[in-house]
Amino acid sequence: MLELLLFIAGCTVMVFGAVGIIRFPDVYTRLHASTKCDTGGALSILLALTAYTGITLTSIKILTIAVLIFLLNPVVSHALARTAHKRGIKPDKITVVDMYARDYP
Amino acid sequence: MVGENILVDPLLIVSIVLIFTSIICMFRVIYGPTVIDRMIGFNTIGTKIIVFFVLLSVFYERSIFLDLAIAYSLINFLCPLILVRTMETEA
Repeated sequence: MLELLLFIAGCTVMVFGAVGIIRFPDVYTRLHASTKCDTGGALSILLALTAYTGITLTSIKILTIAVLIFLLNPVVSHALARTAHKRGIKPDKITVVDMYARDYP
Repeated sequence: MVGENILVDPLLIVSIVLIFTSIICMFRVIYGPTVIDRMIGFNTIGTKIIVFFVLLSVFYERSIFLDLAIAYSLINFLCPLILVRTMETEA
């Protein structure tokens, strides 16, 4: 029962993240959708697979992969956003405030 | 028993959702206006591939796919970082 709930939550987050990657207007909002898709969806599905297999060596390896995704994907997202700002990609016109441009002009 | 039917197997449904969302993200890789957009789409597809390896490992009960998933997650971490560093130093 727990794994079914986690499977449904992960699939929902994956679908909405993919819709956000298509529909959002500029790089930074697309990166926001992509990060939710990575951590929320992938971690939910991996925890559901851990509950599906029970406590074995396989579930310990799946938990290792979950910790790797949880640690490494935000680093990549941060580096992508920083490089996009340094290359001069402007946010969309409806953006209200840009704090990074104020702090590092 | 409902769980015996293959059409309501949760692993099959999750793998179909993963393939469908990968095709949607491939749209951003092909038509993205900037380089960063293409890298975002490719990184998201890479994470879905890692989850798909784990699904294959649970479905076929072969633990070699888990080692492949760990190696692919490290490659998926290093590749964008090296590309980003190269783009920062040339600009």
